[in-house]
Amino acid sequence: MEEMAASQENDSEMDCSDNEDCYDYNDYYNDEDSDVEHIDLLKIDPEYFEYKCLSEEEIERLLNETVEDLSNRLRISLSLAKVLLHSHYWNSNEVIVKYEENPQQTLISSRIDPPVPPRNIIFTPTHMTCPVCVTLHHVDRFFYLSCAHMFCKDCWTMHFEVQVNQGISTAISCMARDCVVLAPEDFVLKHLQHKTSIREKYQHFTFQDYVKSHPELRFCPGPNCSVIVHSNEIKAKRVVCDQCKTIFCFRCGCDYHAPTDCQVIKKWLTKCADDSETANYISAHTKDCPKCHICIEKNGGCNHMQCYNCKHDFCWMCLGDWKSHGSEYYECSRYRENPNIAHESVHAQAREALKKYLHYYERWENHSKSLKLEEQTLGKLRARINEKVMSGLGTWIDWQYLFTAANLLAKCRYTLQYTYPFAYYMDAGPRKELFEYQQAQLEAEIENLSWKIERAETTDRGDLENQMDIAEKRRTTLLKDFLDV
Amino acid sequence: MANIAAQRIKREFKEVIKSEEVAKCAIKLELVDNNYTELKGEIAGPPDTPYEGGNFVLEIKVPETYPFNPPKVRFITKIWHPNISSVTGAICLDILKDQWAAAMTLRTVLLSLQALLSAAEPDDPQDAVVARQYKENLDMFKLTARHWTNAYAGGPSVNSECDDKIKRLVDMGIEEHQARVALSSYNWDLERATEQLFS
Repeated sequence: MEEMAASQENDSEMDCSDNEDCYDYNDYYNDEDSDVEHIDLLKIDPEYFEYKCLSEEEIERLLNETVEDLSNRLRISLSLAKVLLHSHYWNSNEVIVKYEENPQQTLISSRIDPPVPPRNIIFTPTHMTCPVCVTLHHVDRFFYLSCAHMFCKDCWTMHFEVQVNQGISTAISCMARDCVVLAPEDFVLKHLQHKTSIREKYQHFTFQDYVKSHPELRFCPGPNCSVIVHSNEIKAKRVVCDQCKTIFCFRCGCDYHAPTDCQVIKKWLTKCADDSETANYISAHTKDCPKCHICIEKNGGCNHMQCYNCKHDFCWMCLGDWKSHGSEYYECSRYRENPNIAHESVHAQAREALKKYLHYYERWENHSKSLKLEEQTLGKLRARINEKVMSGLGTWIDWQYLFTAANLLAKCRYTLQYTYPFAYYMDAGPRKELFEYQQAQLEAEIENLSWKIERAETTDRGDLENQMDIAEKRRTTLLKDFLDV
Repeated sequence: MANIAAQRIKREFKEVIKSEEVAKCAIKLELVDNNYTELKGEIAGPPDTPYEGGNFVLEIKVPETYPFNPPKVRFITKIWHPNISSVTGAICLDILKDQWAAAMTLRTVLLSLQALLSAAEPDDPQDAVVARQYKENLDMFKLTARHWTNAYAGGPSVNSECDDKIKRLVDMGIEEHQARVALSSYNWDLERATEQLFS
């Protein structure tokens, strides 16, 4: 299912890259065109995000262009430009403003120059002793950074080798005691000229440091994936890797989490990890049928349950009659706070807090499990379709709409899952009420869709497609109103 | 690389031997083996500190990548100090970690350690028990540190009360060092130390 979801994502991503193709930074008119289009797209799709999946070579080119541009504008060396950019999170404008205001202070704060200028170096002797290897060398063999601490060539090489082997690259400093001056890239590379493997390691580490310090770049978190995502918008939006299809948040690099923001999801996940024991204990995997009390194990993703024994329809979440969920007001996603809690004892308040957390946690966990179970449903579906195609009942293309439906269901349920941490940390009030209303609406439609997909062969295609449309509309409406990036 | 290490140690060894600190008996350096990979250092407890009068022996191991990496140093003499483990002698000092610079020498290390004995940094502790005592009861800390200096580093005897308490525990069959650690950790409260030892 993930594969399918990704390929669908890919289609929409291709739309944006088409759009990006006409986006030319140097062309004023196109630029404006694209701006108009951009606003329109955001109106239709609140998750719309312009980004590019690039290779290491492409990123290197991009970084080099930034470096060259700054070097030309400030008339400084490339190496210096690179250090300045790295220490300012690759914000050229900030470097330019600071440098033009006070070049000396900028160089000191970027650890390019020492806080106190060194005394003039006077080469009187022809030979001197290197303080590191305590060997007498000709002055020709001595090199130094802006701090004028002199060391012989071999010692610099050894120093860089040891540091690189410890994983240090952009933060290698001078060898003198208490000296904070950093060794710029060209200085390091010059001394690693004959050490090919160390040189490569160094370049690999510096590149990693550059990408990590650049807010517009993000390494794809997929295993063994070398893709780097670039976007001019530094926002918590969804990225799908072109190569490995991993879906993640551009800003934090973790699993995509709309409508919850990066800080809140981090807080939520830490909380869940801390409290998981209790929560797991309480939310067991099986429940009894509320009517005939037979034990039921949930084996599908849909929360609309039908007891195989007594055929009673009920909701897995609240164990209420499904009838009150379907047509009328679906409210089992809403947590009802005890209005008199302020007057209760500390103990009761703690219990209430745990109850509240469990309410959201159970739903969060339940949708996560449903996502996995629906993946299995899709596998079974695929097998059944295969059988049908083999026995001449239509072609693969005829049944394709079922996969599209399953992908849409996954996408909707994923968003639904991430609405629970959002609601948990929301302050009570009319906005939360609106949110929970929309969440309930979305949840109801998702369960309808899941129910229909599980019974796909007996569901009318038109009916299913209509349900898909409704569910996706609910999802985008919620995101439009609450996705705040 | 090992070549530079040996070369440097040879040179530093001479430097320390000739230094004015050695002349004042403040620091000492001895070779343990012939290939300059292990040395024995010694520092005198600085005046006006609880360590005054004591001599503290250090184990110095020189890594192959010396001087590009710092030497590994720990106290062999048992010592009561917030930045030094009272159990292992491990030291928490920035220049022995990330603040090391290749231009530093064993002499600078020994002098820095001596400076650490005069100015502890309880907010960056190696030994949590000692650090807490230092912050909560400085006089008790000084008494304990002086007692340890007397017991392990050859410092002058100052408080016979401490010795008496240790003797009481030894008479009960407790090993002397263990008794000292227990009493030191409980601010020389004999009752609580006993309780801890027999629980």
